[in-house]
Amino acid sequence: MKKFKQIAQFGQKLMTLSDMDHALDLISEEAKTLLDADRCSIFIVDLEDKILWTKLSDGVGRIVVSLSTGIVGHTYQSQRPQIVNTPYSDDRFLQAIDKKSGYETKNIITVPIFDSKRDVIGIIELLNKVKSDFDESDLSALTFFANYVSGSLELILMNEN
Amino acid sequence: MKYENTYSKLADFGRELLNKKSLVEGLPLISKYAKDVVGAQRCSIFIYDLQHKELWTTIADGVEKIIVPSEEGLVGHTLKIRKPIIENNPYANSHFLKSIDKETGYKTQNIATSPIFNSQREIIGVLELLNKESEFNNEDVKFMIFFAHYISGFLELTNLYLLEDMKEKKNEKI
Repeated sequence: MKKFKQIAQFGQKLMTLSDMDHALDLISEEAKTLLDADRCSIFIVDLEDKILWTKLSDGVGRIVVSLSTGIVGHTYQSQRPQIVNTPYSDDRFLQAIDKKSGYETKNIITVPIFDSKRDVIGIIELLNKVKSDFDESDLSALTFFANYVSGSLELILMNEN
Repeated sequence: MKYENTYSKLADFGRELLNKKSLVEGLPLISKYAKDVVGAQRCSIFIYDLQHKELWTTIADGVEKIIVPSEEGLVGHTLKIRKPIIENNPYANSHFLKSIDKETGYKTQNIATSPIFNSQREIIGVLELLNKESEFNNEDVKFMIFFAHYISGFLELTNLYLLEDMKEKKNEKI
């Protein structure tokens, strides 16, 4: 019950933000708390330039990848969530980003964010769950959460363009 | 470009909605907003109870649940085809339930519906608007699809609240 109340409070706060940067920050923070993960990136789909981008966050800097690169690219292409608990043995995983940032990725979960037309407009990615690996219950919580924020995100993207 | 302003102001509505903690409080607000924006006379939100496979709604500000058949009418048909419907000539549509107009004395001139999906892509409700002064058009339905998606998070969360609440009460009894 506590968790639901927390999400409702987060929702109220999210509604007060109309600019993208602050909204993405808030969504990231909430997603991390919800799943007890160390880092969160929200990738936004840019169809014009055919890229996925994040804003500056969490010491990682801005990440830009093609629509088919890495675990997030795969999430975009397949439109399906991904759980990867042993990234270094997964061919899709981009080791270069860890190398550059000096951060060691231990496990990953991603879920697509759909808009009302059922197009993927973004991807939530969480890294390094603190206590254990990511599992099915994390997946259902994050799927719910992605849908919960998708309306606001769609609206913000629409008003920015 | 009727809806341009609407989208830039929709967050105000969202804020108000998220202050409501239950479906019963939230539904009248959603109805009123959808009605005003599209310019329709009436709006109903039908909630699809996945557990009992029942479709229910409330009358205006009433608290009482009214259960409606989930396989009949244009709302039932929306549930079945999982797509929005525009019907500007309902009396010529075989899915339309004329009996309800007869019972209520209200004459339906046109109808637009949109399904409401949860995060698992299950239908959790149907948004229905009746009697727009002119006719419903694609732009109206585009807004309804957007709006249905926008409120779906609120509906899903309050549903989860409800289930959790029921579970807790059950445990207390044991």
